[in-house]
Amino acid sequence: MQRRQFLKTSLVASTVLLGFELNGSTLRKPLDDYKLSDYIFPEKNQLIAHSDRPPLLETPREVFQTAITPNKDFFVRWHSPKIKTHSFIAGYRINISGEVEQPTYISLKSLKEDFEAVELSAVLQCGGNSRSAFVPTTSGIQWGNGAMGCASWKGARLKDVLKKAGLTKDAHWINFNGSDKAAFYKAPRLTRELKIDEIEDDVIIAYEMNGEDLPFLNGYPVRLIIPGSYSDSWIKMLSEIRVTKEYVPLYYMDTAYTMPDNKMQSETPNHKEKKRIPITTMNIKSIIGYPRSNTPVKIDEKVTLKGVAFDGGSGIKAVLISADNGKTWARSTLKEELSKYAFREFSYNFQAKTKGKMTLMAKALNNLGQEQPFTHKIAWNSGGYKYNGIDSVTFEVHG
Amino acid sequence: MRGMILKPILVLVLGSTAVFAEYSKPVKTPSITYPLKFDKNFTVMQRNCQWCHSFGYITNQGKQSKKFWNASVVKMRDVYKAPITKADEEAITEYLFKHYGNGKLK
Repeated sequence: MQRRQFLKTSLVASTVLLGFELNGSTLRKPLDDYKLSDYIFPEKNQLIAHSDRPPLLETPREVFQTAITPNKDFFVRWHSPKIKTHSFIAGYRINISGEVEQPTYISLKSLKEDFEAVELSAVLQCGGNSRSAFVPTTSGIQWGNGAMGCASWKGARLKDVLKKAGLTKDAHWINFNGSDKAAFYKAPRLTRELKIDEIEDDVIIAYEMNGEDLPFLNGYPVRLIIPGSYSDSWIKMLSEIRVTKEYVPLYYMDTAYTMPDNKMQSETPNHKEKKRIPITTMNIKSIIGYPRSNTPVKIDEKVTLKGVAFDGGSGIKAVLISADNGKTWARSTLKEELSKYAFREFSYNFQAKTKGKMTLMAKALNNLGQEQPFTHKIAWNSGGYKYNGIDSVTFEVHG
Repeated sequence: MRGMILKPILVLVLGSTAVFAEYSKPVKTPSITYPLKFDKNFTVMQRNCQWCHSFGYITNQGKQSKKFWNASVVKMRDVYKAPITKADEEAITEYLFKHYGNGKLK
């Protein structure tokens, strides 16, 4: 199965000149033909199930036509096998401890009633989204393009919640932990640390996702929202906030979710870069949601290509479309911007003029002047993180 | 209080379709069978790996080198603290490489 998928993908890649050899490492188009699982998870539609325990669910490509990803289609990624169901929600507390004036326990009710509610649309994306682009294969789930989604998050500002506990003069770092548990006590927890001055007004503790309670699999009852950052920072089932004076080294931030700390952010399979930095801010990316590789398109039929684009918070300036493998580009139509951190919908009308295979590419540009690179321009890294190659779909045009 | 009395009845009637309801009982996620090859080392692999994760983690990686699989097994012990003995480490690596290997040692 895996092998067949690989052969199929590399065949497509070679016909559009995307495969490229660099120091023995290559990048290719991420796998795009994972099948939907026959198993339905709670509060979810059929998704791609990479694992049931812990649950790893990927969103299929066709969902990425709208700026807001429905909760039922939203991807799921847990690290630990023990995920608590908070059946006694009245007893749920977020514990704030450490360098605070008053160690505080905040209930869900208090979070909703005692703090000003704010709402923000933002993209949640796994740092390893599209990891299957990396060859040789890196350790980690071989995601296609669907370990991402965009939702409207409603909750209380982290700043306001911290204010209630009161920070001491030694409060410099904040450590966040969720209530899921690893199988073995000594295993590292997926925690996240923020420097006090990194906390903007839009960092929130969310209790609503697209106007509903967060689905269990997306972190019910509350989740930390750090717009622009990869999802390893968005702690699910947030239950502990610990304020410290010194930085506490963390496995997931300092070792696991890291990139090589050099100019090209590159390394080779045989020479892993020792200096590393956390993946943190998302880079610019776009995905075509329609058409897909199996969409039947007829000659002269009026078709509207649709997709979504985003970056780490500068905002999308344009999305360009190419029908000639990137030689020439035309502007797509952008829909309104929900927020600088949200998916930006784009669309492009076209009519195919010849029978046979047709490939369309999408390339996003942001307000910092950055643009999506071609797949072959992206450097390999050992974690398989931050792939953001220009997306393309190849489909058959019928007479 | 009213809500607490009503909830079990609602759950009976609506099953898992009530989106806004609190989770009054543990949420059950489906158990998926990711079919794996069987041989003499299967049970060694099973009893060590299944503490933390499904077999989806294995099949999802695709065919890999012996070095890759061994590094994965060692990571499970060193980082995630799975109590994998040296003998089991070798048996699991052999199992993974035999059935999910790409034929290359490195």
